[in-house]
Amino acid sequence: MLPETNRTIVDRLRELRQTRFGAFVPVLLALAAIWFYFGVAVPLWDFWSDPDATGIRFIFLSPRNIYNLFMQSAVIATLAVGITIVLLLGDIDLSAAATAGVCAALLGVLVLAGVPGWLACLIVMGVGIVMGAAQGLLVAYVGIPSFVVTLAGLLGYQGLMQKILPTGNLNIGDPFVRSIARVLIPDFWGLVLATALVAFVTALALRRQARRKARGLELDSGLAIWGQVAFFAVLVYAAVITMNSYRSLPLMILLLVALTALVGWVTTSTPFGRSIFAVGGNAESARRVGMNVKRIRVAAFGIVGLMAAIGGIFGASRFGSVSYTAFAGGSLLLESIGAAVIGGTSLFGGRGSVWNAILGALVIGSLGNGLDLSGASAADKLMFSGAILILAVAIDSISRPAGGSPR
Amino acid sequence: MTGKDSAVGRSAPPSHLRVYGVHKRFGGVHALRGVDFEVARGEVMALVGDNGAGKSTLMKVIAGAHTADEGEFWMDDRQVTVNSPHDAAELGIQVVYQDLALCENLDVSANLSLGAEPVSSGWRILPRMLRPIDDLEMEVRAQKAINRLEVRTLKSVRSNVGGLSGGQRQAIAIARAVGTESSVVLLDEPTAALGVAQTRQVLDVVKRLRDTNHAVVYISHNLRDVFEIADRICVLRHGGNVATWSVKDTAPDEIVGAMTRGLDVRDGNAA
Ligand SMILES: Nc1ncnc2c1ncn2[C@@H]1O[C@H](COP(=O)(O)OP(=O)(O)O)[C@@H](O)[C@H]1O
Ligand SMILES: [Mg+2]
Repeated sequence: MLPETNRTIVDRLRELRQTRFGAFVPVLLALAAIWFYFGVAVPLWDFWSDPDATGIRFIFLSPRNIYNLFMQSAVIATLAVGITIVLLLGDIDLSAAATAGVCAALLGVLVLAGVPGWLACLIVMGVGIVMGAAQGLLVAYVGIPSFVVTLAGLLGYQGLMQKILPTGNLNIGDPFVRSIARVLIPDFWGLVLATALVAFVTALALRRQARRKARGLELDSGLAIWGQVAFFAVLVYAAVITMNSYRSLPLMILLLVALTALVGWVTTSTPFGRSIFAVGGNAESARRVGMNVKRIRVAAFGIVGLMAAIGGIFGASRFGSVSYTAFAGGSLLLESIGAAVIGGTSLFGGRGSVWNAILGALVIGSLGNGLDLSGASAADKLMFSGAILILAVAIDSISRPAGGSPR
Repeated sequence: MTGKDSAVGRSAPPSHLRVYGVHKRFGGVHALRGVDFEVARGEVMALVGDNGAGKSTLMKVIAGAHTADEGEFWMDDRQVTVNSPHDAAELGIQVVYQDLALCENLDVSANLSLGAEPVSSGWRILPRMLRPIDDLEMEVRAQKAINRLEVRTLKSVRSNVGGLSGGQRQAIAIARAVGTESSVVLLDEPTAALGVAQTRQVLDVVKRLRDTNHAVVYISHNLRDVFEIADRICVLRHGGNVATWSVKDTAPDEIVGAMTRGLDVRDGNAA
């Protein structure tokens, strides 16, 4: 470790990114900056520069807009959570949005043919897993780079979606499918849920600390524990109260958070998740300790396929329709890869978290939403998103440990 | 072959691990051409040879990281097969690789349990890969392994390996190999990247392994270290055996000659 005085800002950044919590900092700062800009700076500027204005209108930070922002970002976030898994392996998936498109189209066709909504959703999720795992097989067992396999997948699945939807558009009226985005958790139960969640997290943290003490392990400082719990509580309550003050907590957001929690738990707390990080960090050493690297790769691509299918279901539910441009042909793919990377998941493998992907999706969503509100053109949006993405990858490259892994 | 007699000298202790006629090809490269090798419990067997002689390859074959194309494996008096790292670990064979094979993105305790993470009891309905890792148990184990090696400079088993010094990484790689139930420990050039004090520590660890009745294979280019800690020295050249000497019966010059010119030339010179 270097003496305190000799550490440069890059060293500090590197150390920060190594800690579990520190990885959140850059994306949270980005989010705060974007929200401050669109939520406070732009309205104030409009107010001062316009002599006729009667009052400041904080549109961006209004509960209604935040609600829409969350709903808009949900599909991106679902895909980004999946893509994070393959990024952790050091691979990439360019076909996630096309997979989501195929699954959504299939869902539309199935419910139109009279298949019950819940069954159609299950079938589509299975199809998503197969579509992802098939690419994983090519990457792991045939040894084709994931970039190439999933680029081919992107093209092939786009074509497949057009085959399923010759008109390019299909309305979905199935009540089960629509209910995912429509059902709202009543205000009261939303708050109960938030309280239960905070209590659960607190209990978990305290129990962990007690166990560490009992086994004579080094203890986390009380400040760190309570700081994390307080931070978590503020986030949860702020989100629920904001939702409640416009409508209520949507079921879809709840599902997204639950899914992310599940995937997050699997990646950080199970031998399978550990093996994903190990393969991403040093595939050869993972192989030498006896991990089945190929099977892990296939499973990871299967998970992306599953998340893409769920993203497709969410999208179909929210729009009430499936269209080629909303999924396969649009900007969804780049936005969800961007979300994962902006969240701080390394393109070099082995570093990142699915929670960061959600924050990254919010950054992308906020940027689009804010630029829309201030009347920016589609061209401006693209250029801004590109700049943010470059910034995120630059932070990733700089904060990588010097030298990389020895080979 | 003249080396054969000296490879299994009369004074040699009964071998614990023994391999015969190991061949390994990488495409066109015939890296091992019928190598015989053995090591006994409570002894340090040094494996030396020029760069590219096949030392690392032999070690990886024994560790199951590569599968031998041909060859017999014996442990004590039982013939065994080693086709995967799992097979080797089951037999109690552990390795410290030349490149350490650590995951820099994971912390010390995760690296020490890599591939053998302890899981919480319960959760029996889930497959083992999806049960919660008992990370406290993992830390306790890591702390024990680190204490045993006396790596005093390491601040916490929760620090990322990416931020550690070369010596600390080496110590962790060794701790991983000896932390588990093992009877054979193979070390591939463990001191190549280390300073004087850290090399001293590693040599002490190797001696302690011998004292605890492990069979130790020690690959090194530093003949001074080899002559200090080894009981026997096995010389490889171009993927084949040259010979094996007891340290008492040889001198560094002889070993250097065997490494660079092989036995026949040496005999020719002697004549
Ligand atoms: N994975 C591999 N693929 C191809 N050739 C290899 C591989 N590993 C080792 N070799 C070759 O095998 C020979 C022996 O290498 P190695 O065992 O690393 O030598 P040493 O450790 O004695 O320096 C060399 O010619 C090397 O190039
Ligand atoms: Mg070598």
